[in-house]
Amino acid sequence: MSRFLFVVPPLTGHINPTASVGGELLARGHDVAWVGHPGTLAPLLPDDAVVFPAIDDVLEADIKAKRERWLALRGMAVLKFFWEEFLIPLGHAMEPGVAAAVRDFAPDVLVADQQALAGPAVANQAGVPWVTSAATSAELVNPLQTMPKVDAWVRDLLHEYAGGDIRFSDRLVLVYSSKALVSGEFGDEVAFVGPALTHRVERVEFPWERLTGHRRVLISLGTLNGPAGERFFGQALDAVADLDVQVVMVAPERPVPANVLLRPSVPQLALMPHLDAVITHGGHNTVCEALAHGLPLVVAPIRDDQPTVAAQVVAAGAGVRLTYSRARSTDVRTALESVLGEPEYAAAAELVRESFIAAGGAATAADLLEKVVAG
Amino acid sequence: MDEVLQQVAELITEVVGPDFLLGVEITRDTTFSDDLGLESIEFVALADKLNAHYGVDLVAFLADMDIDEIMAMSVGRLVDHITARV
Repeated sequence: MSRFLFVVPPLTGHINPTASVGGELLARGHDVAWVGHPGTLAPLLPDDAVVFPAIDDVLEADIKAKRERWLALRGMAVLKFFWEEFLIPLGHAMEPGVAAAVRDFAPDVLVADQQALAGPAVANQAGVPWVTSAATSAELVNPLQTMPKVDAWVRDLLHEYAGGDIRFSDRLVLVYSSKALVSGEFGDEVAFVGPALTHRVERVEFPWERLTGHRRVLISLGTLNGPAGERFFGQALDAVADLDVQVVMVAPERPVPANVLLRPSVPQLALMPHLDAVITHGGHNTVCEALAHGLPLVVAPIRDDQPTVAAQVVAAGAGVRLTYSRARSTDVRTALESVLGEPEYAAAAELVRESFIAAGGAATAADLLEKVVAG
Repeated sequence: MDEVLQQVAELITEVVGPDFLLGVEITRDTTFSDDLGLESIEFVALADKLNAHYGVDLVAFLADMDIDEIMAMSVGRLVDHITARV
């Protein structure tokens, strides 16, 4: 049996795939541990999961406060803030905790989320083999390729921090998507394993008895959005008020029409089999969970990797893209009626679903991780 | 008003939609990131329009800039680039 240590940032979307792959490794009898922010990890992992702290509650609160400022930024300022104020400082802050976890747990392989730079940095110092968990496929297609000076700026920051581009392991890069969505040529170390959905823990309550509509739509902008989210939520509510659909909307308390079930959070994965379509900001997890259930999408990307993910959905024919900050209720309604009413969207989503099944998910990821240990 | 500036302002308005520019006058100092909050797909649409109208390659223009220059990129800078090319 082998020992695997997952290094993760305090972000739900980045922890989720590791919860699944870690769960699969545990089920196979391996020793598995996580290192990150215990408070963010606890609701997403099994009760008996081994968790090492690398981020305390004070730092996590500081990251949340920063995120509020970050959400107010637009354009290239988002990227600058992301690297200079978030990713690199988070890497430095997590290093002592990750180093302690490596010392105490003595992993055979360290599995680092792409946004947990302390993972590769510590692994390189300690001589532990490390692999990459790419919670989004966007970095692989490099959205910065048309802006070489910006791309070089990112690489310089990484070299300064850790002496190399530690976003990508040269042993194994786990990508929770498939070639049906991500086009391009990739090295042999890049493994498209599809979304990792098994063994996932969802502790959020949901009033299942209230799911009564014959056509159901989820509206979710993920766990991070900001002021523009308020505008989009308003337009989306206007869009669905007169439609013959039942809507589950994940949003803070607000007045909603009778056909909308508003919840502050939902067990999203458990909800998917009950849905007909999803309206989302284009977070990689939400998009791939929907496609794994053959659901067509309306995607209104906000920032970061979301425009890239939205473009993947459109290219695959599995959904319609909206302009997040400017879409009107009529635009949202037209897009939703299209994906619900025109069968080619669901058919395209079904093709992606089949590609995900073929990719194998957490089981394939676990096979590959076992091979890394075997050498 | 400069003819190119007026035309670029019209193309931006077409891309963004006039409703969103109510009360916003597009001047040389208007920035694409902060003031207009141009989304990536809108940038692509604007690039297409600039190419069709002036034969100017917006992507190639941006490719020479570093992150601070892109953040500060103003309508005036684009207008000067077009004027120099056309």
